[in-house]
Amino acid sequence: MKISTRQVLFFLACVAPVGKLILLPARLAEAAGNDLLFPFAMHYLLQAGAVFCALLLAKRGMNFSELLANTFGKIAAKVFMNIYALFLFFAALLPLLEQKLLVQSVFYDTLPSLVSFSPFFLFAAFIASKPLASSGQVCDLLAPIAIAGLAGIFILSAGSADLAALSPAFASGAKGILTAFRNGFGWFYDAAFILPFLGTFDYKKHLALKGTLCYLAGGAAVILFAGIFYGIFQETATNQLFAFTATSKFFSGISTLGRIDYLFIFLLSLVMAFYCALPLQAGVECLLQAYGRRRYLPTIFSVAVCAALLVVSQCTDYRFTEVLGAVGKQLFWIFPLFSVLVPALMLLLRRKRREIP
Amino acid sequence: MKFRKFLHTLPMKIYLILAAIVVFAFFSNDFGLVDIQKTAIILAAGIDKTENGFSVTAQIAVPKGSDRTTGGTSSVEIEAEGETVSDCISLIFAKTGWVPKLVFCDLIVIGEAAAKGEDIISHLNYFLRNDYMPDSCLLAVCEGKAGELISSASAIDDASSLAIEKLFSDAAQKSGMVAVSTLKDFAIGYYGVSESGFLPYIRMTEQQGGQSAGGDSESGGGSGANGGEESQKVYSAEETALFKKGKMVALLSREETFAFSLLRGKVFSGTLNATDGEKAVTLTVVRNKGGVALKMNNAPTAELSLSLTLRLCCRGVSASISDIASDSVSPEILGNVKQLLTEHVEKLWTTAKDAGCDLFMLQRTLYRRSLKEYAKWKDALLPAVRPLPKIELKSMK
Repeated sequence: MKISTRQVLFFLACVAPVGKLILLPARLAEAAGNDLLFPFAMHYLLQAGAVFCALLLAKRGMNFSELLANTFGKIAAKVFMNIYALFLFFAALLPLLEQKLLVQSVFYDTLPSLVSFSPFFLFAAFIASKPLASSGQVCDLLAPIAIAGLAGIFILSAGSADLAALSPAFASGAKGILTAFRNGFGWFYDAAFILPFLGTFDYKKHLALKGTLCYLAGGAAVILFAGIFYGIFQETATNQLFAFTATSKFFSGISTLGRIDYLFIFLLSLVMAFYCALPLQAGVECLLQAYGRRRYLPTIFSVAVCAALLVVSQCTDYRFTEVLGAVGKQLFWIFPLFSVLVPALMLLLRRKRREIP
Repeated sequence: MKFRKFLHTLPMKIYLILAAIVVFAFFSNDFGLVDIQKTAIILAAGIDKTENGFSVTAQIAVPKGSDRTTGGTSSVEIEAEGETVSDCISLIFAKTGWVPKLVFCDLIVIGEAAAKGEDIISHLNYFLRNDYMPDSCLLAVCEGKAGELISSASAIDDASSLAIEKLFSDAAQKSGMVAVSTLKDFAIGYYGVSESGFLPYIRMTEQQGGQSAGGDSESGGGSGANGGEESQKVYSAEETALFKKGKMVALLSREETFAFSLLRGKVFSGTLNATDGEKAVTLTVVRNKGGVALKMNNAPTAELSLSLTLRLCCRGVSASISDIASDSVSPEILGNVKQLLTEHVEKLWTTAKDAGCDLFMLQRTLYRRSLKEYAKWKDALLPAVRPLPKIELKSMK
């Protein structure tokens, strides 16, 4: 079974943006203030370039591992697939922890028990053990849900925003914008998802261009949301950790109708649950490409990875700020290295298929 | 064959079950169960300054009848003193065994002495940090002690906080009689370049000819309401406290508050009194446009523009039936109203300027317009800017 072009585009336009709606707006506002749209735009342009490169690789009709083995040989490809899987598992940590915080803080009025989030790992282990092609059908289902959720949040939030708060441009200076840009790397690695998917979809006419435009369209929605978010909270935006759950509550009808915005928050949270499981699925796929698809390997890998992440998430329960600091300040370079540089450099790999002994 | 088909569809079935478990775990909110016997649902908090720190009086909804219950909300007020607001909240927990729950707290009142004494963000930062505290919570300052206000017996509602919140309703805001501010609004003003803000100022008066509340009203920790009969109170919030850097620096009168509401363009169906010759008349505002524009041409000028459409609502004297049938306002009355509003707007401007409060966010306007200009005028803007009231009044035809 193959993923259709439509499903790839749905992922880039509708599913990928939702991962940027929780902590990221407040995180960027912390350093860039009212200039938070600039680091957002810079990240999107950078990733859009990487998405373009990654989608172009699909033209060669080989999967990720085959592309590497075609130039460097099987052993080098195997080593690299292991490293790439490790990167994807590492990249999964941040969205997973922020999702956990969101569930615990927003969906519960008082502190819930630590195990409230644990079923997610059961769910993620199941998703990660499924073939990548199943994600295509998931994207078909998630795209309308994401659109409905985002549209609802936009409609309820836009009226409360004072967009004049976004001016003056460059108030935080180059330093503020660049610091925010650095802090945001942990959320931008969408092009890295595409590489393990190579071989599960065919390159059709102008897919790279269409995919890039879809990704930028999703990015435009995120940037618009970030603008509304800052317009509502202005100087206190840094204090609003769960951005997409906070903007809609000032809608005038809420006082009469109750928190109807939760309907849309739930829709987006559902999409986020799948989005959080995606790097795990992509990472397991990398391992499968390295070690072969033996009968129980997908289950073993996915269960092992999810169990490890469950332990990590429990251990980091009261250390999220430290994790955020480490990812944002010390380890930020890992994300552009694997999600931008690797797809770009892979365009230089041997184009013609050769016989691999 | 059937078993094979079952095996084939098994993954999808497991998948759906797991998805359902995740949805349940995420969105159940513990199935919304709140053990109200163990939880203190705080409706409002009053904060005062003490010698050693703070005093917090929390009004807590209780799940049982009391003398104040008339089928509505029954409440009890608990007071605690501590070094920080958080300390006080913890002491309330320690005193009662109820876990304080702030998610329904819709009103925070600061005592006048606390508001004048120091930066009130020291009182509010606990609430700003608390993830469970709604940003839309109303903020106010009161005459005297906030604890006494919160603990008072209201003549119009079961709980004082519910009576006070009625003063801040949408309808009250549209009347122009009250300038409402929330925790979010105040924090934005405070942390912005203007460092200014406003809060409604609550006064409590005894209800004339009202009944007395029973002496057994529930209270704890030395709150005000205990022993003997307590007179019922009514509240008003027609004045507005102005803040600079978190400190209360001035108080706007009722007329200035109304002028402020008109300048914000928020009034609809509000009334104002004027004179027709020697006789009093009341007019209704049916349309209100207002705004403050900063002009930096030669010298900085603040254009305070007001555009109102008015209709005659009431005369203080008898009138003919043809006069009652007509809503139009005579040019003479409009002239009087214009003069009156000009005075109120100028007075409002002077009060805010003298107190150093950037009530109209002129510094923020300049900052957003031009960083260069802002850097040049940063501290000199408020003293230098000249007010230019532009009032246009129309009668409803």
